[in-house]
Amino acid sequence: MKNMIRNSLRTGIVFGIITVFLFLVGFTGTAANILADLLNNESAPPLFGWAPPMLNTVIFVGLIGLWAGASGASREKDVAGDPYGAAVLGGGIAGFVQGLLTGLVMALVGTLNERGVMMSKYLAELLPAAVKQAMLGFPPPGAGAFYLLFLTAAGALGGLATRGLGRGGRRPREAIRTWAREKVEVLPWVQSLRRSPAVKYAVYGILLLGILLLPLFAGQYWNYTIGTVGIYVLLGLGLNIVVGLAGLLDLGYVAFFAIGAYAMALLTAPTPHNLMWNFWLVIPIGILLAAVTGILLGAPVLRMRGDYLAIVTLGFGEIIRILSKSDDLSDFTGGPRGVPAVAGPDFFGLNVNSGIAFVYLIFLSVLLVIFVTNRLQNSRVGRAWEAMREDETVSRAMGINTLTQKLLAFAIGAAFAGLGGALFASRNQFTGPEDFNLMVSINVVAVVIVGGMGSIPGVIAGALVLKGLPEMLRQLEDYRVMVFGALLVVMMLWRPAGLIPSSRRKMEIDKDAGLAETAEEGRGK
Amino acid sequence: MPIQKEPARRVKPYQIIQAVTGIGCAGYLLYRLYTVLIGSPTYGTETWARFMIAGLILGSVYALIAIGYTLVYGILRMINFAHGDIMMIGAFGGYFTLEAAKSIPAGGSNFSDAYPFAAVLAAFLAGVAIAALSGYFLEKIAYRPLRGAPRLVPLISAIGASIFLENAAQLLFGAQRRDYANPAVLTRGEGWTLVINGAKVILPYTGALTVILSLLLMVALYMLVMRTRLGRAMRAVSENKQVAALMGIDVDGVISQTFIISGALAGAAGVMWGLHLGLVYHFVGFIPGIKAFTAAVLGGIGSVPGAMLGGLFLGLVESLGPAVLGISFQLKDVIAFGILVLVLIFRPTGIVGEALTEEKV
Repeated sequence: MKNMIRNSLRTGIVFGIITVFLFLVGFTGTAANILADLLNNESAPPLFGWAPPMLNTVIFVGLIGLWAGASGASREKDVAGDPYGAAVLGGGIAGFVQGLLTGLVMALVGTLNERGVMMSKYLAELLPAAVKQAMLGFPPPGAGAFYLLFLTAAGALGGLATRGLGRGGRRPREAIRTWAREKVEVLPWVQSLRRSPAVKYAVYGILLLGILLLPLFAGQYWNYTIGTVGIYVLLGLGLNIVVGLAGLLDLGYVAFFAIGAYAMALLTAPTPHNLMWNFWLVIPIGILLAAVTGILLGAPVLRMRGDYLAIVTLGFGEIIRILSKSDDLSDFTGGPRGVPAVAGPDFFGLNVNSGIAFVYLIFLSVLLVIFVTNRLQNSRVGRAWEAMREDETVSRAMGINTLTQKLLAFAIGAAFAGLGGALFASRNQFTGPEDFNLMVSINVVAVVIVGGMGSIPGVIAGALVLKGLPEMLRQLEDYRVMVFGALLVVMMLWRPAGLIPSSRRKMEIDKDAGLAETAEEGRGK
Repeated sequence: MPIQKEPARRVKPYQIIQAVTGIGCAGYLLYRLYTVLIGSPTYGTETWARFMIAGLILGSVYALIAIGYTLVYGILRMINFAHGDIMMIGAFGGYFTLEAAKSIPAGGSNFSDAYPFAAVLAAFLAGVAIAALSGYFLEKIAYRPLRGAPRLVPLISAIGASIFLENAAQLLFGAQRRDYANPAVLTRGEGWTLVINGAKVILPYTGALTVILSLLLMVALYMLVMRTRLGRAMRAVSENKQVAALMGIDVDGVISQTFIISGALAGAAGVMWGLHLGLVYHFVGFIPGIKAFTAAVLGGIGSVPGAMLGGLFLGLVESLGPAVLGISFQLKDVIAFGILVLVLIFRPTGIVGEALTEEKV
């Protein structure tokens, strides 16, 4: 009982802080707008005296309250023979604490707002209108009290829901999973479908066909987005070799991307050098340049273990950006203004620089890179990389020349980025230093990590989720990078193998969790 | 007993590259030094003095941040990537305190101008407290559950935490750069005037405060690590966690305290940064964080005196470097990263580095 209350209190505090934080960064208002789109109630008549924006705010806060209640209650299995009472109590306590924190902050902010204090000077999102919307038409103390009561009720309801949905006190997710295992997966036709390779290939085939036909029906804007996702798949697959297979954390991956892009731009554009080379000639040059840079950078640094590499590559990425931006080199790189009028590809005199054709070109490159990655991963080299990632000392004892292998991984990863960069510059018909800021590296790392290190389908899924999804939810643009950061931490805490883990990698991480302690003891460190 | 002949040592190609690069770099540096100082002096003594002063101040801030990297690395063998952002949080803590002090009327003007000592002290206390708290929770949320996981996992988590903190700060406080409201006596740019070569060189008050305070903090930290019970526990944990635990040391507690201490130092550095340089925004911790890491590597990561020396050295190099090499000041960040790469090539153990075992490298 005491334990349960302590857990509920802790859950309540955590959720309270989250609620307050979401309010302070202005997410409550954004979420209300999104809800308005989803529920389509923008012009609905007021309910309980609330116009739709306020109503949606209440709904959003209520949803968080339900969630808080559900987590607050689901800890203890059965208390004193009355599961419902315990669940309601646990959820209610969590909701009460959450409501207390939220209500206090709301009352304080509301009062300050009414006195005419310009809080948005210090907390950017607390504009008077936003605060007024959060007050729901009550005077500030009343709004605080409302949040307290409302969240307590929502929490209790959430607690009750966990017991109501899951039969016999089980959580809903477990109940569904058990049902599927007991009732569906034993059916003979399900079994044969699961085993048959024909089904697998049919699914892949349909997916591939769908993707190939997509650019014909998508408009210009979506083709641009699809192209961007494709380029991120390229980058992700390249970094996947470096991070996912060889286990080297490269935070300056954007440097190789930039080298590919600048190679394309400087060699094909009329300014600043007026070389005007052919697109198809420059593609291999860009790839080669990136790979050579990878080797040059890697040679001194790769003898170290991971952590140094992360910082040095990070610094290198910034160096490339600073150099391309600097006035000293502007005669060579175009300086801060960048390089305009980068050439597009032509195909036997046929200019394929239209949106649709370029998307297909990107698809082709992605397929090529997937093929190469797949062959590499299952070759002697790929196995050497994975062995090295798991234990460098042992792999050296097995006769792997780790420095060569690391350099190889680094160079191949860089080459893919060079290809991606060349395509990127050519598609945008422009290249400038601001295309290559740190965020690109971070995005690519996030794509690989979220998707699943070492897994090709994972990288594709990661690029779709991280680059494609935000395009659909443009309202969330402001929060995207912050969510990336949080996502990296959360993925590491809960699912370090990624969304679609590679089978080998998953096995290793599961095993690691169990063996880590023994290994630590054995090493005496 | 016959003397065994030593087998002929094969020179590895890597060593040749190392030697060539080393001679090349050293030669170019000497040539530049000759050009700048004797050949065709571009700057007079007073300009060099200004560079030195700026470098020393910057260096002492780097040193404080670098100590945090070194402490955490020594104990957990991981780079606390979000350390620079802890400094940013500290800088914001000081900023809000000073803003509050400016707005409270006292003694004719406002609290900040009437009692500058108390206001600055409060700013430091607030910055240090909030940064220490952030360090504690950072470790508890993002690193502790990952103990024993493969090395890449906590590092990625740290990067995620860093991105999260930067962007959360941007959303909370807005993207604009803010000016620190210094008390009147500590106005930025004012200071004692020295006359060198007939030209005025200003030794800023804020700079003096920064250097003195960070030296005091460094001495205090050194005493803490070498003389106190907690320091001994920290050293024991960094030597061997299992054995330390067997000796009755609460390993998790020591790690938490390490994060609190390194956070506090970063917070102090953040407030100094704000007082001396003025501008504070959500990204302010990023570049100093990387520079301080460079400083920690330069001095030998894991070594506290090394971090101090490395920080001061890096600050000086950064402010003197562009002048010596004759390149534009836009490129001063390139120098710092270049040094990092060179250190890793020639002496990965740093200036005062202990012999690094395989495990630590």
